Amino acid sequence: MVGAIFNLNHPAHMVHWHFIDLSVSNVIVIVLMLVVFAVAILAPFPRHGEGER
Amino acid sequence: MSTVDPPTWTGKLRERLVAALPPEKLLPDRQPSYMASWIYVFGVLTLGSLVLIIGSGTILALKGPGWWHVTGIGHFFNSVHLWAVELFFFFMVIHLWGKYWMAAWRGGRARVWMTGVVTFLVAIPCALTGYVSQQNFDAQWISTQAKDAMNSMGIGSFFNLMNFGQMYSYHVFLLPLAVVGLVTAHVLLVRRHGIVPPFRLDAVGPVKPSGDQPGAGDQPEPT
Repeated sequence: MVGAIFNLNHPAHMVHWHFIDLSVSNVIVIVLMLVVFAVAILAPFPRHGEGER
Repeated sequence: MSTVDPPTWTGKLRERLVAALPPEKLLPDRQPSYMASWIYVFGVLTLGSLVLIIGSGTILALKGPGWWHVTGIGHFFNSVHLWAVELFFFFMVIHLWGKYWMAAWRGGRARVWMTGVVTFLVAIPCALTGYVSQQNFDAQWISTQAKDAMNSMGIGSFFNLMNFGQMYSYHVFLLPLAVVGLVTAHVLLVRRHGIVPPFRLDAVGPVKPSGDQPGAGDQPEPT
């Protein structure tokens, strides 16, 4: 049974910045959330046509 | 609704419930035009993830905590459960950011905001107790490390991470019950008070010496 699609058998890679210690995987998720948040605000939302209502 | 007070407690309760949440508010079929933005979909995406979590978790609970280690289908449902939780928090955090920058507590919506915050706080131990319910070395490592955090706060005797039965009960019953109850209250409060409107553009400008916050309490008519 394959446990993961890439090798996880090592200590996590960490990002150190002053007092902040984050694993790279957590940084990726946080950046992804920020990107999705920005897209959710900026991307146009589909609307019904003017004549439909 | 009748104008005469019903004589029974069930009748009184019904009158109060219908007055607080009439059917057209409980299940609306139209929403204000300002909801035409992707930022408003993250609440319902969080709800969808929660349904997936409860569904996959129910199957895992029916088969027992060790099932996913020995069968492919068990591993599949365990993975569905894990990734549904990841999505739940992913969507909930974006929902939180959106509502924070909208100041979604405006217009008498403090209880909506507070139930959301408490749901977030309760969901965290709900998820973390899942890590100690995995029945593997990872669970042993996490529980032995996390018990020190509990003991440092003086709650280790009430919340014993070395007690698998207690942690499993918290994970599959007590904390999910709290999360579902809080989410239900949150959604009903949203239905009662309506979605928070955006800040009024005409209210943005030089700070006035007195008066309400811009946009507070206003609720434009549905379009």
